[in-house]
Amino acid sequence: MEEDTVKLISAEGFEFVIDKKAAMVSQTIRNMFTSPGNFSETRLGEVTFPEISTPILEKICQYFYWHLQFASGKESEFHIEPEITLELMMAANYLHT
Amino acid sequence: MNTPKKRNFKIEAFKHRVEVDPKYAEKTWKVLEHAIHEIYNHNASGLSFEELYRNAYNMVLHKFGDKLYSGLIATMTLHLKEISKSIEAAQGGLFLEELNRKWGEHNKALQMIRDILMYMDRTYVSNNNKTPVHELGLSLWREHIIHSENIRSRLLNMLLEQIYRERTGEVIDRGLMRNITKMLSDLGPSVYQEDFEKPFLEVSASFYSGESQQFIECCSCGEYLKKAERWLNEEMERVTHYLDPKSEPKITSVVEREMIANHMQRLVHMENSGLVDMLVNDRYEDLGRMYSLFRRVPDGLSTIRDVMTSHLREKGKQLVTDPERLRDPVDFVQHLLDEKDKYDKIIGSSFNNDKTFLNALTSSFEYFINLNGRAPEFISLYVDDKFRRGLRGVSEEDVEAVLDKVMTLFRYLQEKDVFEKYYKQHLAKRLLYGKTVSDDAERSLIVKLKTECGYQFTSKLEGMFTDLKTSQDTMQGFSAGQGPEAAGEGPAIVVQVLTTGSWPMQPSAACNLPAELLPVCERFRAYYLGTHTGRRLSWQTNMGTADLRVAFARNQRHELNVSTHQMCILMLFNSADRLGYREIEQATEIPAADLRRCLQSLACVKGKNVLRKEPMSKDVGDDDAFFVNDAFASKYYKVKIGTVAAQKDSEPEKQETRQRVEEDRKPQIEAAIVRIMKSRRVLDHNNVVAEVTRQLQSRFLPNPVVIKKRIESLIEREFLERDKADRKLYRYLA
Repeated sequence: MEEDTVKLISAEGFEFVIDKKAAMVSQTIRNMFTSPGNFSETRLGEVTFPEISTPILEKICQYFYWHLQFASGKESEFHIEPEITLELMMAANYLHT
Repeated sequence: MNTPKKRNFKIEAFKHRVEVDPKYAEKTWKVLEHAIHEIYNHNASGLSFEELYRNAYNMVLHKFGDKLYSGLIATMTLHLKEISKSIEAAQGGLFLEELNRKWGEHNKALQMIRDILMYMDRTYVSNNNKTPVHELGLSLWREHIIHSENIRSRLLNMLLEQIYRERTGEVIDRGLMRNITKMLSDLGPSVYQEDFEKPFLEVSASFYSGESQQFIECCSCGEYLKKAERWLNEEMERVTHYLDPKSEPKITSVVEREMIANHMQRLVHMENSGLVDMLVNDRYEDLGRMYSLFRRVPDGLSTIRDVMTSHLREKGKQLVTDPERLRDPVDFVQHLLDEKDKYDKIIGSSFNNDKTFLNALTSSFEYFINLNGRAPEFISLYVDDKFRRGLRGVSEEDVEAVLDKVMTLFRYLQEKDVFEKYYKQHLAKRLLYGKTVSDDAERSLIVKLKTECGYQFTSKLEGMFTDLKTSQDTMQGFSAGQGPEAAGEGPAIVVQVLTTGSWPMQPSAACNLPAELLPVCERFRAYYLGTHTGRRLSWQTNMGTADLRVAFARNQRHELNVSTHQMCILMLFNSADRLGYREIEQATEIPAADLRRCLQSLACVKGKNVLRKEPMSKDVGDDDAFFVNDAFASKYYKVKIGTVAAQKDSEPEKQETRQRVEEDRKPQIEAAIVRIMKSRRVLDHNNVVAEVTRQLQSRFLPNPVVIKKRIESLIEREFLERDKADRKLYRYLA
């Protein structure tokens, strides 16, 4: 695996390989990769989320990239389908995003 | 319009319908507890951050925050107790290293724990007002390690011992010291202050107190100050290397107090090396060091200043009252200037040009210069000497520098009017005898005096210059009118027409001019009065000079440069070989004192004795007889016959000048009183005196008794009256 990408694995086992920079939007993921004691995540460069389903994780990954764009000044809307809102919010709370 | 019915919407909290396994909390905590143990044992690499985080997250979410938090405290405490034991067990010098190592480990573990428990920090801790994990870790460390009985005092002693060893010249591990003090600061400012800084300052104080006692006994002041400076720098360096920056002012103030403030008087007055010795021997470096060190302590500079002032006053007093010095005014003033230069240099190079020191210098000079009533005269004589001789061939800048120095001395004078009086006399002589080296320099000094004291002070001096200029023009007009035939024969004269009042002339009886001169004098009088109407000319024969061509026996020819009076006397010998004193007096009508002096300079000065006197004695008596000295010889063609001129005022002349000054002051004081009363109308005695003193102090310091006399005189002349009710009150009568 390349240095600047990380692998996020959903409850169903889907793997999302995204830029580390994007993943760091989540405070929780950031801590996973920067905490001093050599945790397994830091070593392998991948995180498994047994409580986050694939569609939600996908949406989250989209959000990471959208957030980076937004932060660099490109304003656009981030569309969220109503039916996943609740689950998405819980995941956001978990990931401190 | 219809207002829609208000409806209360209620949003209910989302309820987890997850049935919780009753043993869930216990199980989850076990996982986390295990993880914490592993972290402390450096075994974290096998752990999954996500899993731990998720467990902590769920525990908090399912309201087991309390359990998680208290569990954390218990686990951490357990580990800290173990750490404490291992630190206690460390031997001697390893103690600090072990402490430092454990502290590093604890910090790392703490950060990991904080990361996995981040969700608890974010929600549970802030909602329940608990201490966040990181701070909790620090306070537990403080409680179980730093404040544990066996460690606390040992730590302090170790630190102080290290510093002591460094102070006595050993090399210590500064990095380690830095880490430990950093740890103490990280645990909170109060820990650093209470557990380290305070005892550190106390120990330092006693250390430096001892050192200073020891050194002050055996070192000179200069060496001691050098030591103090080095110590001070060492302490500052120590702070930058391994102490908290906030400690710097505290430790430096300890050093300052112990090394300097406590020994200030002793240092300053140290025999053979104290401040006075430094001043006398121009030890700029030591003085500079003393200044920069003493500046740090309260009253330090004023101590230096006081000692310097009293030394300066003492020395100055000796200088101005030493009768030896009074013999040579030029030397006297030169000494004053040298002294001034010396201290200017000291203050400039060692005392940072400190304003208060410069003021002290000024006030000291003012004090002792005015101790000697003849200082104004001497300063004027000094200037006279400079203008006659001293400034010849000196560049313009140097002339300015000399004049500026003179001006500084002048500023110190209280009796500026006395100076003016003498200066006028000396200037008049210089101008009339053409003795001044540089007109520009003369004018430059007058400009300086003018800026210092105002137009009034110099108007007469300037008048003197104007007179000379006009005289030149007049003489040109006169000799042009004479025609060439008149110029060829008989004596030529150069007349300087002086305005009465501008010049310091004593009205003296004109002597009888030799018959040869009378026609040309008459011609000039006629010419002058012809061009200017309404003026009166009188001859000041006591001021001029004359060049005489003399043929002695043995065919010796000389040109003599003599004063007008001397010329009158010598001309008499054209028609006589022998003249008695009385005959000369009768023929010339020169005032007795002047005549004696002239004769003395003509007959009694070796090498210039163009007259011979019988009997041969130093003094001129009433019955002496004079002859032309046929044996006169000189290797020069031109011979200048000096007058036995009083360079310095003789005692009676001094009295006279003094009296004239007093006389001149009277109208000035009266004028000041009238000016004041005219604007104030009514004023009491003390205020009048104060005001008059203030108005006149740029010229002289009026004596209150004199002021009182002037007031009385003004009352007599009905300028003022006393108030009828209050006798202390004066009223102006217009």
